[in-house]
Amino acid sequence: MIALLCVAWTCAAQNKIALAATKQQTQQEAKPDSKMNAKQMTREVIDETGRHVAVPVNVQRIVTLAPNLTEIVYALGAQDRLVAVSNYSDSPPEAKSKPHIGLPMNPNLEAIVAAHPDIVLITTEGNRRETADELARLGIAVYATNPYSVESMLESIEHIGGVIGATAQAESVVANLRQRLNALQSKLASVPVARVFFVVGESPLISLGEHTFIADALRYAGAQSVVRAKQDWPQISLEEVVRLNPDYLVFASSDFGGEDSTAKQLAELRSEAGWRELAAVRQGRVVVVSDEIDLPAPGLVDAIEKLARQLHPNVFEDGAQHASLRRLAVFVPVRAHLQNAVSQDSCREAFACAR
Amino acid sequence: MSAHGMPAPNTGRDAATGWMQNPVHLVVEQASYAYSTSDRDAPDFTLGPVTFSARQREIVGILGQNASGKSTLLRLLSGEFKPLSGRVELDGKSPSQLALRERAQRIAMVHQESTLMFPLRVWEYVLQGRYPYGRRLRFENDGDCLMAENALAQVGAKALLDRRMDQLSGGEGQRVILARALAQQPMLLLLDEPTQHLDIGGKVELMRRLRKLAEENRYTVVVVTHELNLAAEFFDSIVLVQRGKCLASGKPADVYRRELLEQAFETELDVEMNANGRPRVILRGGEETEIADASAETPKEPQ
Amino acid sequence: MRPLTPRRIVAICALLAGVLFIVVVFSLQVGAYPISVSDVAMTLVRGALGHWNSIPSSDRLIVFGLRLPRIALGILVGAALSVSGASFQALLRNPLADPYVLGVSSGAALGAILALVWLPQFPWAMQGLAFLGALATIAAVYFLGRRKGQLDSTTLLLAGIISASFLSAIIMFLMTTVSGRDLRGMAFWLMGDLGTAPAIGLGFLFFVLLIGIGAIYTTSSDLNLILTGEQEAHHLGVNVPRVKLVVYVSASLLTGLAVSVSGAIGYVGLLIPHVMRMLFGSDYRVLIPASAIGGAIAVALADTLARTVVAPTELPVGAVTAAIGAPVFIYLLRRRFA
Repeated sequence: MIALLCVAWTCAAQNKIALAATKQQTQQEAKPDSKMNAKQMTREVIDETGRHVAVPVNVQRIVTLAPNLTEIVYALGAQDRLVAVSNYSDSPPEAKSKPHIGLPMNPNLEAIVAAHPDIVLITTEGNRRETADELARLGIAVYATNPYSVESMLESIEHIGGVIGATAQAESVVANLRQRLNALQSKLASVPVARVFFVVGESPLISLGEHTFIADALRYAGAQSVVRAKQDWPQISLEEVVRLNPDYLVFASSDFGGEDSTAKQLAELRSEAGWRELAAVRQGRVVVVSDEIDLPAPGLVDAIEKLARQLHPNVFEDGAQHASLRRLAVFVPVRAHLQNAVSQDSCREAFACAR
Repeated sequence: MSAHGMPAPNTGRDAATGWMQNPVHLVVEQASYAYSTSDRDAPDFTLGPVTFSARQREIVGILGQNASGKSTLLRLLSGEFKPLSGRVELDGKSPSQLALRERAQRIAMVHQESTLMFPLRVWEYVLQGRYPYGRRLRFENDGDCLMAENALAQVGAKALLDRRMDQLSGGEGQRVILARALAQQPMLLLLDEPTQHLDIGGKVELMRRLRKLAEENRYTVVVVTHELNLAAEFFDSIVLVQRGKCLASGKPADVYRRELLEQAFETELDVEMNANGRPRVILRGGEETEIADASAETPKEPQ
Repeated sequence: MRPLTPRRIVAICALLAGVLFIVVVFSLQVGAYPISVSDVAMTLVRGALGHWNSIPSSDRLIVFGLRLPRIALGILVGAALSVSGASFQALLRNPLADPYVLGVSSGAALGAILALVWLPQFPWAMQGLAFLGALATIAAVYFLGRRKGQLDSTTLLLAGIISASFLSAIIMFLMTTVSGRDLRGMAFWLMGDLGTAPAIGLGFLFFVLLIGIGAIYTTSSDLNLILTGEQEAHHLGVNVPRVKLVVYVSASLLTGLAVSVSGAIGYVGLLIPHVMRMLFGSDYRVLIPASAIGGAIAVALADTLARTVVAPTELPVGAVTAAIGAPVFIYLLRRRFA
């Protein structure tokens, strides 16, 4: 062992020059200025899980450990400061080209450290507490979000905006989202609530509990889950679904293609023995939404709007004449603020037109 | 080995010749034992009082049917079981009261069969016999190696030294197992059905070897066996057990009486005397004998 | 005849320690963030000399903050699992015995999960209950594995496999019914994960494991004899009940601790003792230390693979040991026990 150590030592001595070169390189990568300055100036904040975090005042390098956080950082226009993201960060599409740090459940700590983050954003919905503890042990600032409802998701956006120094953008993004949600609320106030069965996974059949943010999102879309479970992701038997007799079946799909995917899903269900007995399937009341509804990020509001439109087509009938405008209302604001909130006003105008 | 040289308390002279006689070494007096599954229940199996004694250089055979109590008696002798009543003494000491290691220095047990899970060299196996001599976590010294080599030489298995245990034939394996017992340098050598897996030549060879070992090493040897005729030919005394009771003990010529053996083995047979004064058993066949279904009544002897 | 000498044990251990050292250097060097051998060596030497400030901060964080603790945890867990596997094989006289196969790992995992559910505020509760879970499981398997008062190797293995699936069912039940986000990481932890530093600290873990391995080592001469049969061992002067108690308790302690800090990592306890037997013979006086270091090498290497094969995504180390262990085991089985 000692001999081996000696060999290692000699090797190191011989490679001194090479080493010096490498070191320089690493330092360049590390942007030492921001790192050093940030170290000097931190402020203490309390994150959404009650942890005390010393956050650098001047956040220059952000790492996100879950897709929804990536989306939020893009929405806040801070994508240039985003140095690494978790796998599956594919919204917006340009996030795919960012360096990856592994799965949210098990990120590669080395890759995170190597990215020299000023702050790491994590979420209780997808990350493990151990990851936060480990990073904190290494002296890295970790801000944890805890999105349990649509409202708390909006608050998370504001909090993240505050932490990374994008308060103004966060406020305008949230104001915009709130406005859209309020508009939806007032529209749906008069219609009866749709009783839906939300399918999270098909085999085994998994739905959602009362305390998930999807359950909350359903409420915003004028719907309510027929499943009442304390557990977050309960496994449900098909028999139970028959007994609950939902008005609608709602599926979340990653390859969401509007009408086509709904028709395809319906055809599939009608060919399956158990499913085709359901009243909702027989009467074609099957809805497919984008899996953005699964993600506590601004895109969730898009998904809520689309879902509401499918569940309550009568309420939105007047909008059918202005199909093009309606589409604007749905897509433009989101894409606009994703593009660094080019013009908040134009969004609002578009939205007002749709109404 | 110092204990071997010590005079035994019950030294005596042979009344006929007047010479100093080989002292009585192993004393079993009215010893009994009972198994029970729990304290309250009646015993499942009892071994009734057994009495016999043996001197150095003597071989005692324990004969009886399966589940008659032979192995229980052997375990009483080994000190593994403490007699319920009566006494078992080896060289004046009760084996069940000796410390485990001390006991292993005096008594060696050769088991029926030894299944090995992992490959072991013959020399490693024989060296295990040196375990009772030394501290718990110990390493064998040159003396131990010498003992092991001598033990292997005594059973004529020195050539097997570097072979693997699982590659030995039945007879070779038996000899190596015996060598491990010899490496213990015991006073009392106990063997539980050692002839079970041997062919006829091997059985006779083993008996000759035991005879020789008993002479050379001054062992007292106790053998549990089914081999009536080999026992009569080679052993000095016989203990006959049936269903947990000791039917008889003494010299083969005294014990091998037709009615006793018929009772012990629950079959009809004849006994003849050889020219050398040793009895010979002839099993009867072909005649009309009643085949009794005894299996249901026979009490089970736990292993 | 070449009786085992302390000198030979030291030589074998030194050889294995050398291999372990090379593995550690290799593991320190590879990962998602590339660091050259010379950088690793420089970092280590500077660290050893106390020149902390001269080390580039990211190198320091990655080498000392991440890789070294993780490798150290892998070494400790590997040694514990391998030694407890070797001990179970001797006591149960069964070459297929291993904490994973016997369900002892599952018992420990259930204990750890119960501690997380009931007593999340005490860091030691997890280790304690994992130990008790392991102990209870091995006791149950031992008694279920007896037929007519004799330990029957097939019955024993069946009892182990059945206990493991029964305990897994309870774990599944807990994981689906107990709500709370902390339990979600468990599925991951159950596959074996070395990425989280133990709450009790590496130093303390090392100390307790050393006591456990040391206790088993004091019985290594006895285990040699028990291998040829309990009765035979008794008649050779071994206090069999005492040895069994010491080894069962110590092996359960090792398994419980290993599982509580890293989840259930399979095949290490089964394979490493076999490989060491083939290399150095089946004398437990050398097999115990050789298995300890061999297990350390195996888990350190497996975790390095887990970190690097599909980097930056990390695999659970249990998946790597199973993926490598199962085929190697089949090979050994066909070669040795056919």
